[in-house]
Amino acid sequence: MGLRDRGPRTPRVAVDTGVQLVTAWHLVGVAAGIVSMLLASRSGDDALPAVIKLFMQVFSIAVTVAHLAAAYGTFRRMRRARTVSLVTNYLLFVVSGSALLHQLGAFTGIGKFGTGLNKAFLPFMVIVVGLLWVLVAGQLLSKNPLAAGPNGLRRAGWGLAALASVWFVIAADPSGMLSMIGDRITQPLTLGTLAVALCSGAATRFMWQRRVAVRFGTSAAEEQTLSGLAFLSPNLIGFTFFFAGPLLFSLVVSFFEWKTTGTGRSFVGIDNYVRALSLDISSSDVANAGNEVLKPGYQVLMHLDWFGQNWVLGARDVEFWISLRNIAIFLVLAVPASVLPALVLSSILASRLPGMKVFRAIYFIPSVAGVIGVAIIWGQLFQSTVGWINYLILRAGEILPFVDPPAEGHPWVSSNSTALLSMVVVFAWMNFGFNTVLYLAGHQSIPKELYEAADIDGANVWQVFRRITVPQLRNTTFYVLITTSILALQLFDIVWILSTPEPGGPNNATTTPVLALYEEAFQGNNQGYASALAWVLFLIIFGFTFAQFRQQKDGATSGGVS
Amino acid sequence: MSVRRKGPKATAIRVATYVLLVCVAVVVVFPFAVAVTTAFKRNTDIFTYPPSLVPKKEATIPAADVGLEGDPVPVYSFPDRDDRPGQWALVDGDASLAEFRPLDDLERVIVLDVKAGEKTGETISIDGEEEDVYLVDDGGAQVEAYRSRLTSGGLFVSVDDPSTSVLDLVNFATPAREFGPRFSNFTEVLAEKDPETNGKGVGRSLTNTVLVTILVVLGQIITSILGGYAFARVQFKGRSTIFLMYLGSVMIPFVVLIIPLFQLMLQVNWRDNLVALIIPFAFTAYGTFLMRQFFLGIPAEIEEAALLDGASRSTILWKVMVPLARPAIATLATFGFLYAWNSFFWPLVIINSGNPDNAVLSLTLSTLGGRSSTDTNLVFAGTVLAMTPPILVFLFAQRYFVENSASSGLK
Amino acid sequence: MAAVTFNNISKRYKDGPKAVDDLNLEIADGEFMVLVGPSGCGKSTALRMIAGLEEISDGELRIGERVVNEVPPGDRDIAMVFQNYALYPHMTVRQNIGFALEVAKVRKDEINRRVEDAAEMLGLTEYLDRLPKALSGGQRQRVAMGRAIVRSPQVFLMDEPLSNLDAKLRVQMRSDIIQLQARLGTTMVYVTHDQVEAMTMGHRVAVMRKGVLQQVAPPQELYLRPANLFVAAFIGSPAMNLITADVTIEGDDVFVSFGGHRLRISAKALDRYPGLRERNGTKVIFGLRPEHFAMEEDLEVGDDQVLTVRCDLAEAMGAEVHIHAVVDVPPPAVDGAPIAAEDDPEALVAGTKVIARVDGIHTIAMGQDVRLAVKTHLTHFFDPASGAPLR
Ligand SMILES: Nc1ncnc2c1ncn2[C@@H]1O[C@H](COP(=O)(O)OP(=O)(O)OP(=O)(O)O)[C@@H](O)[C@H]1O
Ligand SMILES: [Mg+2]
Repeated sequence: MGLRDRGPRTPRVAVDTGVQLVTAWHLVGVAAGIVSMLLASRSGDDALPAVIKLFMQVFSIAVTVAHLAAAYGTFRRMRRARTVSLVTNYLLFVVSGSALLHQLGAFTGIGKFGTGLNKAFLPFMVIVVGLLWVLVAGQLLSKNPLAAGPNGLRRAGWGLAALASVWFVIAADPSGMLSMIGDRITQPLTLGTLAVALCSGAATRFMWQRRVAVRFGTSAAEEQTLSGLAFLSPNLIGFTFFFAGPLLFSLVVSFFEWKTTGTGRSFVGIDNYVRALSLDISSSDVANAGNEVLKPGYQVLMHLDWFGQNWVLGARDVEFWISLRNIAIFLVLAVPASVLPALVLSSILASRLPGMKVFRAIYFIPSVAGVIGVAIIWGQLFQSTVGWINYLILRAGEILPFVDPPAEGHPWVSSNSTALLSMVVVFAWMNFGFNTVLYLAGHQSIPKELYEAADIDGANVWQVFRRITVPQLRNTTFYVLITTSILALQLFDIVWILSTPEPGGPNNATTTPVLALYEEAFQGNNQGYASALAWVLFLIIFGFTFAQFRQQKDGATSGGVS
Repeated sequence: MSVRRKGPKATAIRVATYVLLVCVAVVVVFPFAVAVTTAFKRNTDIFTYPPSLVPKKEATIPAADVGLEGDPVPVYSFPDRDDRPGQWALVDGDASLAEFRPLDDLERVIVLDVKAGEKTGETISIDGEEEDVYLVDDGGAQVEAYRSRLTSGGLFVSVDDPSTSVLDLVNFATPAREFGPRFSNFTEVLAEKDPETNGKGVGRSLTNTVLVTILVVLGQIITSILGGYAFARVQFKGRSTIFLMYLGSVMIPFVVLIIPLFQLMLQVNWRDNLVALIIPFAFTAYGTFLMRQFFLGIPAEIEEAALLDGASRSTILWKVMVPLARPAIATLATFGFLYAWNSFFWPLVIINSGNPDNAVLSLTLSTLGGRSSTDTNLVFAGTVLAMTPPILVFLFAQRYFVENSASSGLK
Repeated sequence: MAAVTFNNISKRYKDGPKAVDDLNLEIADGEFMVLVGPSGCGKSTALRMIAGLEEISDGELRIGERVVNEVPPGDRDIAMVFQNYALYPHMTVRQNIGFALEVAKVRKDEINRRVEDAAEMLGLTEYLDRLPKALSGGQRQRVAMGRAIVRSPQVFLMDEPLSNLDAKLRVQMRSDIIQLQARLGTTMVYVTHDQVEAMTMGHRVAVMRKGVLQQVAPPQELYLRPANLFVAAFIGSPAMNLITADVTIEGDDVFVSFGGHRLRISAKALDRYPGLRERNGTKVIFGLRPEHFAMEEDLEVGDDQVLTVRCDLAEAMGAEVHIHAVVDVPPPAVDGAPIAAEDDPEALVAGTKVIARVDGIHTIAMGQDVRLAVKTHLTHFFDPASGAPLR
């Protein structure tokens, strides 16, 4: 009684009949592809954007060719034909399935689903509680290896979730959505897409089977490749559409003058980059000379006084250069401010004294709390009249002789001199806890014997820290510095909330490159130029990333964070 | 570390260590404490000086305490008046009063009952107006004064001694304040956006955020499990090339993608729709690495045993590998949750029509708490609501989170 | 149940030498075949090729009549027990054993019945609802066995299934497996590097070396008639003493001499090794198992069949004593590789180590000269160049 004889199986399509059907389906595909090719080349000029038209043409040609190859191959039962047919059908299934969902409004309907969820939030929370219950019960059970298997506690959780689901559906009232889907699905285009999706899906399923593989003599290695790609495909499709494709597009756009709307797009070569990076310097007799001493199109960036000579530095995109200057200052202040405390604190936390885990958790909280909330809170703390910062400084002045509080509350974020500094404080406050945890990982790779040896040698706390901890954490420090720098270079959210009177204010004191990019792209509608800014920024960031990669390669064996 | 040593010096070091740790902890916790208390304050309470961590309301006492019936009455004090110590209940806020100004000091105001004072019959010219001169009672002494105006004010009864009462202008008295959190901040900020009821529509943003977060996390878990498994355990052509591409992808900062993604969303008409916050983020290279790393650690024999047991690859994945990978999935879910819940830049770019039905929490908060912010108490109620879930998730999933932040280098 | 046939099977890993080289082996239906050999010789590889876990580079593998080169593991109808058992950690014993049936969509009650039968057979009934981590090593081993037998496969494959158990349990499980296989009558391919297991368990034993099959034979035949020097050295514990010796034939008498010793070989050895006659005056490798020695007082032999050596070490094992000695000839080698597993290239002595196994009643001191009688009719002779027996 082996596994093979397990009663009558459900009758299935004979392999050969199935393959013939698939061949026929591919032939239909060839015909459809040719028709759509013709349609795509003939359709009215202004009906569709050129990109989409081009894409459709390429797509239909590809589909036609693939179908042709698959039809021929499956007809002749060629070894590779199964793979070709599978890939064709699978991709077609994905495309037509997505198109179908699109036509049914499933994607944009998620917003409507939000409305339903809003109406039925209470039952939704009950569902969540039920599922959490199941989870916790499962955890408790897995702690006790003897008692596995089904049991009442978990079932109760499932039951609760199920009941709440019914309640949820009633409360959310999906009838509107269902009737909309009902309306749309009866439209001919949607029906056609549905048919394609069904056929390609069925063909994929059929061809995927083991016995079909045997019939075509697919090798084990080919099977592996197919299943590997199948597993990877959701990820890979997402990667292609939402990462690789856009990345390429971004590079292309950066060589164009590009607006959101179709008009006003033209190829400008490297002009965007030139514009972003152009600087001009000229000497002038008067201090604080204006734009007139610079080349036309340039504006004054800063005045310099070198060896008694007045110089004027100008740029074509002054705001971008100011943002670069700001971010450089920010980097110099914020990175040490969020790394040094982490280094010190982690050395203490690594000592395994009681309570260290609690402190570790507390320090970490700011980095998970959400930057918007954090910025809002700090906005209140920095408030000039009733803010806590000024109040505490005032009180400190009463106790500590060296603190000299100003008579009026200092306007932290709206003063030119302290606006950026305020951002530094918030950034450091948010990130030092995360860095502490990174450092703690580094600490684990320090051999305990080093500390014991130092103890025997009678080294004091400072010497141990200075001579053992810091040098041993070199690699970690490097990693932490780099990741923090990369984060700092992309400063945006804090500035967006905190700076006044407008983002980047006052007087551009807190403008950052990302903010400049955002304003160019989405407020100035210069998406081509903004893309160039993005690539310039990328190159700067890449410098840091590359350094880190080099370091990781060099120091892979010498501890630190892998 | 050497803080483990014994002896008085070591003890001193240890104490100093804890003091330092506690100080830093205070610096971390204090802003949150400010946020939470502010979320329970009345708006008027926020802009008082000095700042305070206690949400207060105007104090009242039961009317019976001052021998009246009806609603509780508000309590005031006169901090500048040494002759009126203690607290005073305002029993009548609309008593008719007269303001007198003594002739020898026209700046001073004596507030008395309308019927108080006797005319002396003389008149005096003030700013070109003829005014009658009265003889009024000023703290026991009779002074000459003129009646500068008739107004309405408050009748105060001493809380300590209900038989004494004074009349004065209400704004000369300082309302007594007592602990009083305002819970309706939360209902108001959650309520549907409506200038009439002061609703801020955060409730809708909250459900949207929940929806987006759940779908993003689910999507990331599924795609990462599948991708991680393929990278870890299936030998297929091109695997190492694709893997290298994935590795490279983490070097690309998101700002580079934002413009083309925006264009893409325009093309598929997903702009200003929640779906734009979900689908593009259901794929994560980091998550894929995380799962791959975990799957690599599961002994190959377990999988081979399952293969021999006749299980297909997908059966193996879902029935054998995934149950074993629960810790990794928990880590992934935590990261995904925090990322999706807190993300701001992309929602700002793509959900930009101001339609509150599509906004997410971070976006709504940034509008509410931004430069033209009013109702600070409500903003903070919203902020507290937005911060609580990620902090709770972090505290519960700490084990997974802290252990893996370092190894995955996620930020 | 089915036979397993290797036809010219080779396996080459991506960048390495051949792990299995041109293997031809027929494992009969119902046979208990043991694959044995030193570490890295390709036993596991051969086994995993049967399982379908390794691709076959060359040749043809059949299970029964079917060529299975391209058949995926799950379709080969075989069961395998791994060295580390590879139990599913998150499943109970019941789920572990029943998993294959569940995958094959067997009905629930049928699964339960078969799982319980298997558990009964292996004495696991009371542990059915435990997770593997709550079991002892031996119990886990049984679960792994249960997982294999519940499916009633065509072939059992076991890769060193007992190597993680302690010595006593190993003996116990050894006989259990033998009985189980006998009862079920399923073809068994069993990999081990433990020759006691190989000798006691297998109907036949296949000895491999560096991917090449050396000899396939019933255990006793391997012991008595090793096909080459390698098998001779590999089978038997302690290993056969192999000594480079000069042969002289004087009439019917054959003499071997080495390191100042000279032994007369009984004529019976000549019957078994007729090739020896042509080797007059040349060097051969003289093979002598430790158990073919005895103390002179225990065995009636002529004076010229006694070897006198100095005892370097005497290991008293209770029933027997192992006497270690050295004879003054360089140790033999076949194509550069040491041939005995115990061979230690870094040995302190330049000569050839000899171990004699004598009765346990003797007390032998270190440094003492001992006179060892040799059962010369049981000795072996090999060609020093090829390692082939001089038959
Ligand atoms: N995946 C692999 N890739 C490359 N070479 C391998 C691989 N697996 C095994 N080998 C090599 O193939 C040879 C045979 O290995 P195999 O595992 O079959 O040995 P074995 O006889 O089972 O040894 P042991 O008794 O130590 O288990 C060895 O030299 C080994 O290094
Ligand atoms: Mg092995």
